[in-house]
Amino acid sequence: MHKRTWRFVFFTLAILAGFAAGLGYGWGINPVQYHSTGPQALQIDYQTDYILMVAELYQAEGDLAMALARLDFLGNTSPLALMNDAIGYADAQRYASADLGLMRNLAFAVQSALDGLE
Amino acid sequence: MLDDTRETRITPQEPPKRSPWYLLTGAVLGLILGLVYTWLINPVVYESSTPGTLGEADKDVYRLMIAQVYEATGDLGRASLRLALLEDPDPVYALGAQAQRALAAGREAEAHALALLASALQGPPIQQEINTQPPKPTLTDPPTGIPTHTLPAPTTTP
Repeated sequence: MHKRTWRFVFFTLAILAGFAAGLGYGWGINPVQYHSTGPQALQIDYQTDYILMVAELYQAEGDLAMALARLDFLGNTSPLALMNDAIGYADAQRYASADLGLMRNLAFAVQSALDGLE
Repeated sequence: MLDDTRETRITPQEPPKRSPWYLLTGAVLGLILGLVYTWLINPVVYESSTPGTLGEADKDVYRLMIAQVYEATGDLGRASLRLALLEDPDPVYALGAQAQRALAAGREAEAHALALLASALQGPPIQQEINTQPPKPTLTDPPTGIPTHTLPAPTTTP
């Protein structure tokens, strides 16, 4: 093969090696650090605790519209889907039965409200 | 004349050997491309973050929820644990500052809930600590006017 062609091949290989090193460093060693993530990115345990707070306030206030507005903080996911995920997680983690009861109570109210709308 | 002619032999010269700097140039170029790709074009997306990484506005919402739940349930232990998730350097100060902002915006109910939790975290008020001390006697002015206690009348001796 012509010498010039070899040089081109080695140059391309060097670029690829540098690119691979850049991927490893940028994704693995020193990835982008976010200092302000959104609430929709919260771990399921924190989301569940937030939903428990909403349920505690719903128990105290009885204001379903306010509870739905508070659930909207966690993103555009359906409130019922959020509640079901949270209850499933709380059930698996053996939350206190009183806390589970509060969340189920709110889920039932949300379900009833949605059924009423349909 | 022909003897003067000299035979010149031209030997083919080898091309100068190039240093391998081009390889380093390629590696650096690739490294820069890789970093641009991983940091700007396709950065790592975190799907499991903690409340401490929320933005300030979202932290305010979360903090208010904690305060309102405390106001409704009175569970200070749970409220403290939840506040710790926000990783505020000084949770009481953060609550107080948010209460001030809520008060300035006319949201008195929110301000009350936030201030209530802040004061609960600070412990019992100073006035209550004073009350646990034994009461000090109050000083009053010495009585003036007619004495209530009179000396016995002197007895005459024979």
